[in-house]
Order: sequence, then C-alpha cells, then structure tokens
Amino acid sequence: MKKITMLFLAVLSCGAFAQAQVDRGSMLIKNGTVFTITKGTLENTDVLVRDGKITQVGKNIPAPTGIKIIDASGLFVMPGIIDAHSHIALSSINEGTNAITPEVWTGDVVNPLSISIYRALAGGVTTVHAMHGSANSIGGQCETLKLRYGTVDADVLRMEDAPRTIKFALGENPTGHGRRDGQQPQSRMGVEFVIRQAFSEAKEYMATWETYNKAKLQKGFRGSPPSYNLRLETLADILKGNIIVHCHSYRADEINMLLNVCRDFGIRRIVFQHVNEGFKVAPELAAYGAMASVFSDWWSYKLEVYYSTAYNATILTRNGVTTSINSDDAELMRHLYHEAAKTQKYGGLKDDEALSLITINPARQLGIENRVGSIEAGKEADIAIFKNHPLSIYTIPVLTIVDGIVRFDREKDVDDMRLYIDPKESIDIPTFQEADHTHENCMLGAEETAQNIFDLN
Amino acid sequence: MKSILSRRRTLLLLWAFTFPILLVAQDEKMMAPVSRTYVITNVNIIQSPGRKIDIGTVVIKNGLILAVGKKISIPSDAIVIKADSMYLYAGFIDGLSHAGIVKSKEEMNRDRPKDPGNPPPDKAGITPQNSVLEFLNPVDKSLEDLRSVGFTAAHVVPYGGMLPGRGSVILLGGSSANEMLLQPSLTFYSELTPAERVYPATVMGVMAKYRDLYRQASLTKSYETVYASNRAGLERPATDRILESFYPVIDKRMPVFFRAERVLDIQRVISLQKDLGFTLMLGDLKEGWDVINQIKTTNAKVFLSLDLPEEKKEEKKEDKTEKKEEKPKSISDLEKEALEKRKVEFTAKYTAQAGAFQKAGLKFGFSTISAKPKDIPANLRRMIAAGLSEDVALASLTTLPAEVFGLTDRLGTVDNGKIANLVISDKPYFHEKATIRYVFVDGHLFKMEVKEIKKVDPNAKPEIAGNWTLTTETPQGKSDSNLTIKKEGSGYSGKISGGRLPEPSDLQRVELTGNSLKFVYAVSMGGQAMTVTVEATVEGDTLKGTASVGQFGSFPLEGKRDPKF
Repeated sequence: MKKITMLFLAVLSCGAFAQAQVDRGSMLIKNGTVFTITKGTLENTDVLVRDGKITQVGKNIPAPTGIKIIDASGLFVMPGIIDAHSHIALSSINEGTNAITPEVWTGDVVNPLSISIYRALAGGVTTVHAMHGSANSIGGQCETLKLRYGTVDADVLRMEDAPRTIKFALGENPTGHGRRDGQQPQSRMGVEFVIRQAFSEAKEYMATWETYNKAKLQKGFRGSPPSYNLRLETLADILKGNIIVHCHSYRADEINMLLNVCRDFGIRRIVFQHVNEGFKVAPELAAYGAMASVFSDWWSYKLEVYYSTAYNATILTRNGVTTSINSDDAELMRHLYHEAAKTQKYGGLKDDEALSLITINPARQLGIENRVGSIEAGKEADIAIFKNHPLSIYTIPVLTIVDGIVRFDREKDVDDMRLYIDPKESIDIPTFQEADHTHENCMLGAEETAQNIFDLN
Repeated sequence: MKSILSRRRTLLLLWAFTFPILLVAQDEKMMAPVSRTYVITNVNIIQSPGRKIDIGTVVIKNGLILAVGKKISIPSDAIVIKADSMYLYAGFIDGLSHAGIVKSKEEMNRDRPKDPGNPPPDKAGITPQNSVLEFLNPVDKSLEDLRSVGFTAAHVVPYGGMLPGRGSVILLGGSSANEMLLQPSLTFYSELTPAERVYPATVMGVMAKYRDLYRQASLTKSYETVYASNRAGLERPATDRILESFYPVIDKRMPVFFRAERVLDIQRVISLQKDLGFTLMLGDLKEGWDVINQIKTTNAKVFLSLDLPEEKKEEKKEDKTEKKEEKPKSISDLEKEALEKRKVEFTAKYTAQAGAFQKAGLKFGFSTISAKPKDIPANLRRMIAAGLSEDVALASLTTLPAEVFGLTDRLGTVDNGKIANLVISDKPYFHEKATIRYVFVDGHLFKMEVKEIKKVDPNAKPEIAGNWTLTTETPQGKSDSNLTIKKEGSGYSGKISGGRLPEPSDLQRVELTGNSLKFVYAVSMGGQAMTVTVEATVEGDTLKGTASVGQFGSFPLEGKRDPKF
C-alpha cells in the first residue's frame, strides 16, 4: 500500500512540473491568397491545420471529416505577425535601480489578464517579445509570448522552449538613470565600461566555479564553495551563448562599440533594437551577423534620434541585415502591417520583403524561425487573415489564429473582452449630449455648390 | 455577599495595578478575576463543527478547559456566567494578521539611498531574522477589534517588504508580549512587495532576489554542515543572519508563508515554490477560484481573505419605473450598465471563492490581514449564502488553522484540557442578528458591552409637551438649557432659554414623526443670526440627538423631561 501511495505521489509531483496545458486546434482555411513569406504567394490555396500545426499547404485539400472550415475566398492569409519589441502583458518593466540587473526576468511578471493582448490580436499579432525596459545598461531577461488570450495561467502564454533573451541598453536612457542616481554610467563611455566590467566579473565567476567543480571531483577534497550569485550566473549564460542579446541603441558609434564588446567576449547572437543609425553601419552589422529591429519612421523624440531615416529598414535589408519592424508600443502594435507597408513607399521593398519584416525576420531575431513566421507544413498554426491586401491602407484584420485556435474574430468582437474585473474600479463614462446643430452653418449651401460643381443635377 | 464584593474591589484595584494594560480596552470590559475558575451554564456548546451539546456547561480553570458536558458540578470558587440559550464556540484562529504588531514610524526610504542599486538589506525589505516579539504591543487596539468578532488567536507577522520576518501564533490577549506568544517563529513570512525606490523595486526584482538569496543560503548551509563535521583545515564559514534565517526553510522544518492576494500573485508564488521547493502556505487569497488546481499541485496550506468587495446596493424599484417612462437609455447609460453588470459578476466571484474551494475539496483557513474586523461576520454570511457550508466555515475558523499551525492539542475545539479560548454569542454565530457577548482568551474573560441602538420607531407616540432640560456638549464644554414644549392643536410650539443663549428664543418649527423630534430656533451671537437645528430620538422622558449650529457643525445633545409637569 505504501509503495502505491509513493508511486501515486511521484506521478502527482511529475504532473506538477509538466508544461502548462495549451489549447491547440484543427481547421482547414480554404481558398485564400496565401503569403507563405518563404515560398512565395499562392492564389486560391488551402491551409490545413491539425492540432495546432500546419500540416499541408496546397490547392483543393480534401477536408478531413468534422474539421472546422474557414472560407478565406477573397481574403489574404499570412503568418501571424511577430513583434520583436514590446512591453505588453507585463506587471513591471524596468528594474532600473542598478546598472546591471540581468538576474531579473519579465517572464516572472507576465500578466495574462492584460487587455493589450487582445488588442494586439486584433491587429493580427500572434507572438510578442515582452521585454525589460531600457533604464539600465544590462537590464533583465525578456520573455517570448504567444498571444493565447483567454487564459488566466501565465504559463500558457509563454512560448514554450523559446530561446532566452535579454535586454541591453545604450545611450541616453541608461546614462540618464546613472546621472539621476549619481551612479555609473553617466556617459556613453561609462555604458561601455559597466558592460565590460560585468562580463569580466562573470568570466572570473565562471572560472572560480570551474576550478571548484574540478577540485570537488578529486578524492578527499575539502574546501569551501564560491558564493552563488544569480546576476553573475546570468551573465555567464550570455557568455556561454545561451541567451540572445537584444540591445536598445540609436547611434552608429555606440552600435560599433557594442559590436566590439561582443567580439571581445565572444558573444555571437546580438540583435540591435531601434538602431536608428543602423543605416550608417549596415555592412558592419551584416558582417558580424548582428540583426536589427527598427521603427518604420519614429524619430526626434530625443536628441540621439535626430539623425534618422524612414529608409533605414530598406537600407539594412539591402545590406543583408536580418531586419524587423517593431512597435515598442501597445497601440502601434495593432497596425504593424501599415508600418511594414511604409517600407514600400520609403525604399520600395517587395511584398515578401516588407512582410518578412513583421514575420519571419522577427522570428529569426527571437530564435523561433523554425516554428513560426511563415506558412509552411510543420510550422505552428499562427495565422492572420485579412480583408484586402495586408500592405494596403484599406486592409482589415478579420481573424487571428494561434496554434489553430481562433483568438480574434472580427465578427465576434464584443465590447468588453476583459478577463478579470476589479470590483473596486470606478466606472466613469463620458456622456455625450445630443447637440443642437441648427446654429452651425459652416457647411451651409455646400451640398448645393457640390452639385453644381460636379454637375450632378 | 458584602465581603465578596469588597474583596472583589480590592482585587480589582490590585489587578489594575499589575495589569493596567488590559483595562484600557474601550468596548469590552475585562472582568476582575476573583478566581480563575469560570462556569458557563445553560449554553449550547458547539465543540467542533458537527459536534454539539444542547444546553450544557463549560468549566474553565487557570486558563484551561476543565470540563465540558451536560451534568457537571459547579466548583465552589467559580464565577458563574449564565449564558442561557446562548452559543459557545472554540475561539477563532486567524491565519494571517498584523494584530498587535506595531508599524515602524520611520517612513521607508524617504531619502533616496546613495546607491539605490545596492541598498542595505533592511532598506531593501530583507529582514527575515526579525521576529514579531520585537513589535508586539499587548494593548494595541487591533487585538480588541479582532476579539470583538470572535478571534482569540492569530498567526501574526511583522510589517515590512519582501521578507518582513518570522510569523508567530499569538493569543489575542495577555499582559505582555511573552505571555501572548503561543507558537513563536513558526513561519518564514514573505511577500512580493518591492522596496521603495531601491533594489528590488519591482516584483520581478523581488522574485530574482528571492531565488538569489535562497540559492546562496542553500550553498552556505551545506558548507556549514561540512564544516561542522570536521573543522580542521577548513575556512570558517562567514556568519550571515539573513542567509541563516533560510536554513530551517531549506530543511523544510519551517514553511514559507506567502501573502498572495491576487490571482497573478498566487501564480508567481507557485512558480517560486516550484523553482526552490520550499513548503508553502498561502495567505490572504482573494482571487483563487481559477487557480485551485495549480494550488493543489503545491500541497500548500491556504488561508482565504475575509475581506470582500462591497456589494452594490439595489436601487429602489420605484425610481426605476419612473426613469423608464421618462426617457430612453443613452449609449453611455447602456455602456455603464454593461460595465456595472460585469462588476457585479466579479463581486459575486470573490464572494463565492470560499464555496469554490470547498467544492474542489481544498481545505482552507481564513485570514483577516486586509479585512475590516467589523465587516467579518457579514462577509462570512455572504460567503455562506454563496455556497460555503456553515460547518466548513466554522472549521476554517477553528479546527483547520489549529491543525495547520500544529495546535490541535491546545486550540480549535471545546474539549477538556485545551486552552480556554472561547466565543459566546447570543444567537448562532452565523446568524444575522448574532451578537458576541463573551470572549475568553487564555481563560481571561472579555465581556462585550452590548451597545443599545435606539431605533427610530415611526409608530411610537411619545409625549413631548412639558419642561425639558437639555445638555449640549460643545468644544467649550457642556451647557444646560431649558426647553418648554406646548401642544397646540395638532402641532407643537415651544421656547428655549438658558445655556449660552443671551435671551429666550421661540422655536420656529417643532416636528414629531413617530419618536423622532426635530425643532429649529434662531440665536443671535455677537450680532450674527444663526439657526440651530435639533434632531433627536425621544424615548419616554429622555431624548438623545444632535444640535447643528450653522457652519460650526453638530454637537451631541441629551435631554430629560421634568416629571412634575
């Protein structure tokens, strides 16, 4: 009996550590214009989804019995949009008290109840990189989220097994914090110094532990272990190549600086965020294999972002840099397809190139390109369906699908999609009074004039 | 009889000098212990949920329950409490509270430390070595507030940041902190509360720091074990009282007691528990209904909050029908209605939390840390109306917390040999009109004064005509005035004089509705005319109410009618 109980307990405890229960669905999306991104655009094409994965892309796929069918005739089917720089669905963003805080992790403070998740879905977004802020030179680790809105369980939102990432920041943000606190860094030189110092300490930490761990294997070893330090552990993980660096940056000189730091410490995986002056150092970025995640056309919001151009994404792309367009903003995230379309005006990128900026390229930057970012058999069924071409100003997202589950349906979009309500919140609704328009005469006679001008009579 | 009385007085005096503290209590009177033997007679005894003695006797001696039952002889030295047809329960045990704990007056980090990234541990809220003993004040009003709703023991914790200190179970009454302490340093109390303006200033910072400290402590602890076994030739381990505080937790000799109100807090605490593997207790849960299964996987002991969001009062029906006829609802009216509806829906979820836990088979206690004590009985009734059974509610207040805190041999039921922590109410505790009459803590009697609430009775027809003496309490002191009321037809007239009035003044209006009296008169003070409005409730030859004097506010007023008239 005791054994059985033990066994039962063992089973229970294994269950406790199993991954969160994620809903996955099946469907046949019929007869749409499919932007595969990686394999061209296919007209009148079906996409078959089984248990959350794309199993087949082709014409006239016979519908398995009982499968949900989505008629995409006249609609445009593309991979779910991926935002490589966002701060949504987090309870806190900046642990800005110290210049170096790699031990903190936004994954600890994921907020599945945030309505911003649903709003992002309404813009065709299916995956976001929920990042630490840019207050400090080495900020916290970030979390890649799949927008499985509707769950209360933060674990369900995590993109399981996505690579670890971390936020770095250069320039005015970390130096501003340093000056406020009377701490390092207070200059761009200081930023380089604190990063180099942190990595040097981490190298020492690794060496000390390595020595201890080797010595411990010796027979009859007696000695004290080095002290544990989660901050240095995390930095060591970066040095070991286990964490992708995402660095907030603007100016070309400091981008070059960080490339040099990475070179010196053997860090290969680096994505520059914002990177407004990336166009100046595009060949250098490409040569290092560094990637770039940019705004379409945001600039001049602080001194270091005056030297900017809307051609940035195009120039980087043409130089062979894996480039994405990000939002860094809950509102902008809802129309990243417009942001991508701007590269067609500023630089004339082709449709696939423009759409890559918000799909497969951000997937590459997050190390999840084998799972999402294009419509191919074997990939996860994260799909956005649009009315009108997604790069057209008239486009409208109508359906957003994550793991084969419809998470946004424009036809079933009720007013209040909040998951939790605070019973103590005060309800404050502005009231609009029916105005009396009779005294407004600015358009007086306009109709008549228009009829005369256009000869409508 | 006389001698007993005088002896009682002497004792009272003596006792007052030795224990001045307990006499300060305002709403309750601690009886002078002529003897430490009490007998409660003719009382319905609920020994534990489902175990009841109709009309029995309980004997208490020297702080312990001596006998419980039907045919029990009354010791000669006993003070007898005739609790005829009242209800007696084991004193309630609060799962998480700051009762009796004094908050440090020093404001946290008002001056930003020079290096906010590396603050001293106390500034960062890291003081796990603290114990409640240092902060316990036996006369703190919060103890009395909790007693007045039936709590006699509580798991109390210090105030602070992420690691405020160790929690202890105390008795909610006693002459000194030491006397109150029942189970010292029982839990390792933790919160997800960030430090103010210094590291860790965010919840993610707190979680990272928690892991960092825990793992550091695991390492230093194992080295200390190695060192202790053979010290020769080994570096002496550094002493660190913060890390050492973690040792009993790492050994699983002490549970981590985490406060986790919201659904996200609960999940975050669970993720820390899964990372580090400590024994967990969760307290002050308010939004646990969606994560019951997750909680189950941790084997955590749970305490649900006794705080509930207020229920929206229903509007009067008359108003609604009138409105409907007046005008159609605007878009914003409809939107507001929809939002209100969801608020109501969620208020109901909070109220039904305890019922949901019961249904899921997860046992729980209750905690008061964020509840207003006076709301607790009503909140319990709301929970019961929303699906919680009375037996489970009582178990959650008594037997379950006793079990969780390892106190079943001393608290939780009304049985021989247990500590005399008892609650006696005039009706069953969960009854809407129940009033607590007596509370025993550690065999000390706290008698609750039943406040008479003079109710407005619309059907009463008191006689008000006659001469009254009115006493008004103002910041300048008491003042007496004379009021004469005469019956005139169906109404009344009157005159007021004396007090601070320079000359008599005729009453402008006298209204009597049921037993509520209202009259108005004018006074001239320093050339300025002012109106005084008196509103009072009349009962026989007395009245009680307030006098409102223009912008000066209102003052309490009492009156007596001259019986000769």
